[in-house]
Amino acid sequence: MTDERALRIVRDDSSAPQPVASALPPSDRADALASDLLACAMGDEEAFERLYDAISASVFGIALRVVRDRAMAEEVAQDALVEVWRVAARYRADKGSARSWILTIAHRRAVDKVRSEQAHTDRLQAHGPHFEPKHQEPDHIVDVAYGQWEAERVRVALTTLTARQREALDLTYFKGYTHREVAESLGIPLGTAKARIRDGLIKLRDAWEEER
Amino acid sequence: MNPANDGEHSLLGPYVVGALDDLERAAFERHLTSCESCFDEVAELTDAAAALADAEAASPPLSLRASVMAEVARTAQTPPVRRTPPPVPVRTARRRWPLVVAAAASFVAVAGIGVAYGARDAGDNGSALARDIVMLSSAPDAHSMDLPLGSSHLVMSEHMDEVAIMGHGAPMPADGMEYQLWFVMADGTAVAGPTFMPDKSGDIMALSDADCAKIAAFEVTEEPHGGSQSPTGEMIASIEL
Repeated sequence: MTDERALRIVRDDSSAPQPVASALPPSDRADALASDLLACAMGDEEAFERLYDAISASVFGIALRVVRDRAMAEEVAQDALVEVWRVAARYRADKGSARSWILTIAHRRAVDKVRSEQAHTDRLQAHGPHFEPKHQEPDHIVDVAYGQWEAERVRVALTTLTARQREALDLTYFKGYTHREVAESLGIPLGTAKARIRDGLIKLRDAWEEER
Repeated sequence: MNPANDGEHSLLGPYVVGALDDLERAAFERHLTSCESCFDEVAELTDAAAALADAEAASPPLSLRASVMAEVARTAQTPPVRRTPPPVPVRTARRRWPLVVAAAASFVAVAGIGVAYGARDAGDNGSALARDIVMLSSAPDAHSMDLPLGSSHLVMSEHMDEVAIMGHGAPMPADGMEYQLWFVMADGTAVAGPTFMPDKSGDIMALSDADCAKIAAFEVTEEPHGGSQSPTGEMIASIEL
């Protein structure tokens, strides 16, 4: 854990109570979130407050991870959460869990933000040539103080991926690279880049299915 | 998997992690409406990607909650599809493509003020709305029809179960009123759609989920600000299917 992150969390914890929903078992949390999202679709603002408490830390966290600037992450998180409210009626359970649906919106917003803030070529120059995959230690991913359960299962699941697959997910999901940029910066064929991303996700999914 | 779809199918992983550009994403989402195996895999892998986000959770500043709630309080929502309003018989309509138009009511063309539905907070949400409308318009089964409200048209897609209206030159409704779109079902009931207002230059833009397969006609009325559960105002424009 970096000092910066540790300091921030200590400070925030002193003023902000942890969201109540985190005390519930995961399956109950998922049910509660899904029913709150459905209520949001009917204009229920109290349900939206519960939804906020249940997921704002993840929304803010992924935004912060991708845009790497607190003020910008706040802006992204706000836009994403308001969009969740606006289009709540569009959520359908067969598209995945309510949680995934909300986090997809947040992630897309964050990625849109970094892509519009920085020219792709700038980012490629900044990250591409210097990027070294961390073969054994995906430390950035366990660097959390919230959602221990998620962090732990992610840490375990990531060990089942190859270093190349972790690298592909890191560049795309956390750094906002397109699959073309991944291929370009790593000097690999586009098809290989696409396959690494998908295979990495499949391994994550399978790791959790075995865990259950 | 259909071999003809291999190209699009291969975009699945990048789609889930947000690594497609806008055009590729639109193409893949079109593919998803017709490829069940991709649809199911996307749902599963999206859960996996979401856990990566959860593992990054960090407490947001306290001020975020208040500003989000304030924004939510003044943000119009895309209306739910299956809310059933009190039945209001309007008419039975034939179901036939494409047919257009009736009755543009008397209008005074005035430059207006106001904003499009779903874009009251301007900026990012406005462009998100525009993007969603582009997505809908590029659906494989998207139908476009004239809407006699200024120079406007309506686009619907059964694949996406969405309806959008867009155009320009729409006159301003009377003071305290806004336009509302209605989905008239085969049994004559009118289901409440979004409310919308022309912007300063008379442009309109609105998007809604809709149970497209069951819609027999669209109507636009003027309703008191905030919209109504069933039509109360004079019909201004309609489209029969």
